[in-house]
Amino acid sequence: MTFFNEMAMLFTRYNSFFYEGVRNTLIISAFSVLLGIVFGTLMAMLRMSKILPLRLLATAYIEFIRGTPLMVQLMFIFYGLPMVGIQFPNIPFIPDFSRFAAGIVAMSMNSCAYVAEIIRSGIQAVDSGQMEAARSIGYSHSQAMRYVVLPQAVRNILPALGNEFVIVIKESSIVSVIGIADLMFRTKDVIAVTYRTLPSLAIAAVIYFCMTFLGGQLISWMERRMSHGKG
Amino acid sequence: MAKDEFLQVVDLHKRFHKLEVLKGISTGFRRNEVVSIIGPSGGGKSTFLRCLNLLEVPNSGQIIFDGVDICDKKQDINLHRQKMGMVFQQFNLFNNANVLHNLIDAPMRIKKLPRETAEEMALRLLGEVGLADRVDAYPHQLSGGQKQRIAIVRALMMEPEVMLFDEPTSALDPEMIGEVLDVMKRLAEDGMTMIVVTHEMRFAREVSDRTIFLDDGHIEEDKPSHEFFDHPESPRLVSFLDKVL
Repeated sequence: MTFFNEMAMLFTRYNSFFYEGVRNTLIISAFSVLLGIVFGTLMAMLRMSKILPLRLLATAYIEFIRGTPLMVQLMFIFYGLPMVGIQFPNIPFIPDFSRFAAGIVAMSMNSCAYVAEIIRSGIQAVDSGQMEAARSIGYSHSQAMRYVVLPQAVRNILPALGNEFVIVIKESSIVSVIGIADLMFRTKDVIAVTYRTLPSLAIAAVIYFCMTFLGGQLISWMERRMSHGKG
Repeated sequence: MAKDEFLQVVDLHKRFHKLEVLKGISTGFRRNEVVSIIGPSGGGKSTFLRCLNLLEVPNSGQIIFDGVDICDKKQDINLHRQKMGMVFQQFNLFNNANVLHNLIDAPMRIKKLPRETAEEMALRLLGEVGLADRVDAYPHQLSGGQKQRIAIVRALMMEPEVMLFDEPTSALDPEMIGEVLDVMKRLAEDGMTMIVVTHEMRFAREVSDRTIFLDDGHIEEDKPSHEFFDHPESPRLVSFLDKVL
């Protein structure tokens, strides 16, 4: 039996494992990206704040998150928080809610730091002359930001944000270590049942690739639409 | 200090960290006056001009505009800036918007001008600088000279009392300098009050009423342009003019 035949056989027989894994991976990734963008925007604002303590706090957070492994952060949230009395509750009808909550919190806290840096650098990459020109004709700082700087910053931010989305999909595989039945977790299940390690991993790789590739295409399509008519 | 000066500068100091760029500048500007500021690079010309509308905040001194000290923190600087147009070396047109939007956005948003009035005004002024056909273009589609003429129109759209020019032709190819200077010359003839930091000695000599030589943070010489160029007094100005003329 060739390798590809083996992959096809495994996928046909265990497709429900892979489907469930994909679903959970997408749930974790989508929530993490969404929350990451919301809190990342806030974090970027703190990072550029005129108030020094806020700026320092945001900088420290970003540096800490970027300087430690996601695995460690995830362990801290999932095992560490309950030790100091903070529990993610289990709620009825949503199985494994506490695990998912921990996974999403850790992933989005992580993503938040990267998104904040993406937004900050996107804004600061806009030529400072644009802000000056706007101020010189009487726009207030916030008007200049809103009508002149941010629309230009978005075009710097969007491609990097798309990249971040792809990274989150891949990195989310780490939540399998806390028992969330994501694609990686279910792939290991298939391996445990069949002892077919390489073909199972190959299936997972192909599925991950399809998700990131389609995600990337979606983002670049959005980019093209947004940059229409502008140089 | 003459009474008819609507813009007065009193003992202006500006430091960047330890570098003292302006070391006590005092002068004044009358309405309808065209003043050129010349001098060597690093002498403080641009910093001085940028202090006038507080793009740089001076460390000490006063800038009295229409009777109020705009350095006073209680003053709403956005209000005063509307009355002071500024033209930059690098044009700084809004890259995300076409020419029309560049021109009408501020008058509509800040001065609450109705769109029709703003558009009418934009088209009239664009016609005057010979660019009525570029109203839909984006900045990246324009030449440097065209961008600068539009930047001048953008400042004029707010109907300022004074126009500040920060080396408006320094970033232009030689064949485009003329078209921008022509616009500025016509503006001067129409009676606009202008303060121009420039390296164009012919413009300073022929168009401006008065020329200031700013060197090492001081005003070295300040007098009517024809006298300034025909009978320079300060030795530093004499040697500067020797090099550039």
